[in-house]
Amino acid sequence: MSINVGHIRAAVVTMRANRWRSLLTMFGIVVGVASAIVIVSIAQGVKNSITGQVNAFSKNVITVGASSQDPTGLGLTSIPFVSTLTYQDAKAIAKIPGVQVSVPLEVLSGLPTGDKTLRHGIVFATTQNLPQVLNQTLAYGAFFNDQDSNAFSAVLGSNAAIGLFNDPIPLGYSFTWRNQQFVVDGVLNSFETTPFANDTLFNNAVFIPVGAADQMSLYNNPVYQILVKVKKAALLPAVAKKIKTTLLNSHGGQADFSVLLPSQIAGSSTSILNLMTELTLGIAIVSLFVGGVGIMNVMLVSVTERMHEIGIRKAIGASNRQILMQFLIESTTVSIVGCMIGIVLAVLAIFSLRAATNLAPAMQWPVFAAAAVVSILIGIIFGSVPAIRAARKEPIDALRND
Amino acid sequence: MALIKLEDVSKLYGFGDATTLALDEVNLSINKNEFVAIMGPSGSGKSTLLNIMGLLDKPTHGTYKLQNRHVDRLRTAQAAKLRRDTIGFIFQSYNLLPRLTVLENVALPLAYKGIGQTRRLKYASSMLERVGMQNREYFYPSQLSGGQIQCAAIARALVNNPQIIIADEPTGNLDSAGSRLVMELLSEIHKMGNTIIFVTHNPELTRYATRVVYMHDGMIIHDEKTAVGEVAKTARDKMYSIAKKTVEDDLAGVSLLMNLVPEKDYETSKVPTKKKTKTRRRTSGGKNRKKRTR
Ligand SMILES: Nc1ncnc2c1ncn2[C@@H]1O[C@H](COP(=O)(O)OP(=O)(O)OP(=O)(O)O)[C@@H](O)[C@H]1O
Ligand SMILES: [Mg+2]
Repeated sequence: MSINVGHIRAAVVTMRANRWRSLLTMFGIVVGVASAIVIVSIAQGVKNSITGQVNAFSKNVITVGASSQDPTGLGLTSIPFVSTLTYQDAKAIAKIPGVQVSVPLEVLSGLPTGDKTLRHGIVFATTQNLPQVLNQTLAYGAFFNDQDSNAFSAVLGSNAAIGLFNDPIPLGYSFTWRNQQFVVDGVLNSFETTPFANDTLFNNAVFIPVGAADQMSLYNNPVYQILVKVKKAALLPAVAKKIKTTLLNSHGGQADFSVLLPSQIAGSSTSILNLMTELTLGIAIVSLFVGGVGIMNVMLVSVTERMHEIGIRKAIGASNRQILMQFLIESTTVSIVGCMIGIVLAVLAIFSLRAATNLAPAMQWPVFAAAAVVSILIGIIFGSVPAIRAARKEPIDALRND
Repeated sequence: MALIKLEDVSKLYGFGDATTLALDEVNLSINKNEFVAIMGPSGSGKSTLLNIMGLLDKPTHGTYKLQNRHVDRLRTAQAAKLRRDTIGFIFQSYNLLPRLTVLENVALPLAYKGIGQTRRLKYASSMLERVGMQNREYFYPSQLSGGQIQCAAIARALVNNPQIIIADEPTGNLDSAGSRLVMELLSEIHKMGNTIIFVTHNPELTRYATRVVYMHDGMIIHDEKTAVGEVAKTARDKMYSIAKKTVEDDLAGVSLLMNLVPEKDYETSKVPTKKKTKTRRRTSGGKNRKKRTR
């Protein structure tokens, strides 16, 4: 064992003696480790916030979508052009036992204009239970209720309030949409924004009562989603099944809709993220591999340069195994130091990402451990060819080499 | 009982037409506590012989018995172990590893033996003290003189307490003062009971030896016992005159030596001295002349 401590020390001495060469050798490992950790942390951070959101507001909520497939899993692009879901469907679902509330979200076209025209917004027709389903409260004012479901009142998302009136509290203000005047009843609290999730949509949305839309003769508006809140989590599968049969009946046997449980929502919105993570991780692994080849190359040169040293060591009694260990420990030290530098860089990058963006990368110890293990393996695997070469050298040949 | 016994040992290098016969059926046995000097012209196979005796190389033919054990076909791991435990090496140059301190260099064989750091440094330190280098422990080899490097190398060769010390031209790179320092040290070690085999081109240094072996073309052409403190007769009479600068002188000296040694009688320790040869000494330097006390 003591010889190994000596080896590590010797390896450090060698590395110091060739500082620049060692640094350049480590470069691939440093880049690979740093990027792998950062990427995995970002992905995990995003996943955490998506599941966090889903758990917060979609808890016990079944999402009935307009098509049988969720093409991308991205909320923004899954708005269908043709929808067969109707307000009647929402009403039918509300009658299923175990369902607490069933809320339709109709998507309507046209730009609302207050002090300004809301360009990046969307108008939803919905019912009074939306806040309950979204598990969201109002920042100001009140949500419209069933009594004024025919009134031309509206509730704004936090960004929509700014977008229309440049005023965070535009209660009582009015705006025009499709030549109809609407009065602002309330403003929703801001949804925590999460990449790839629906929430940015809601922050920019204008919500009007379904009855108002009907009065404007906008019948059979496409229903984007029906959000169904179930009384107990245990009832989720049963209710989802019942929704499917109910809708199949009313849609004449056509499965032109999707019924997603909360877990499936999180799953579908992370699938693209997973794909991207895997691709970038692949690049990081290539970088680690290149780093390993770099180590091998430098170690081969080092072995050639130090033939005489190997000869002396063998002459004074070093066995092949001891020489093998010396060079393996040297290459592993290089890769471990590279890994440590990579980890430090990754942590710095993660902290600056946290400070500068809303990505909130999540550091995970298993990832660091995996990086360390992979680095050690790379040091051993790519160091073994040069080390074996050094160990196999006959002492007399090594000594004669100058 | 012989400590080292070589029987019909040959060493061939290369293949086909390029084959070199570096050792040609050499027979040599060396007893415990002998102090053997090996001499001979360049390329005569001295280093090859030493490397085989030191288990750094294997003979192509013949047998080698070390301490009565066959060692000519040892596996590398066994050879390494035997080398570590019974043989200490001193080379002509680049003896010490440049990135380790003198102390660490000396302690290195003990590290390969698996001895703990504290103990081996302590032991290495006492070895350095023995060779008069205690105040150079933390120096790096680049900060030492040639003689000091060789002294440290001797300390390292001794640190395992090996029976045999093998030194290939240990004074080859040293001036006369450095050579004396190194040889005095080896001589002291010899008195402690070690067996020492060294190669030299300097006949003066046979003074320290108890036996001188002369080689030529891979063969031992002469082998004589000498008294410690005296330059070996053959070396004195013949080689003095041939320690010259030119190749011609070298060749002339060697052929002279060849003439003097009867073909079938390599083992004799008595070589007739012919007065005629004295005339060749005219070329030798005044310094050498002075030392030849008659
Ligand atoms: N690795 C080798 N490959 C081929 N030939 C070799 C090799 N090593 C030595 N020889 C040859 O073997 C012969 C003996 O070499 P050796 O090194 O033993 O001579 P030496 O007596 O030590 O000479 P010097 O006094 O110059 O050190 C020489 O002819 C040399 O060319
Ligand atoms: Mg030689």
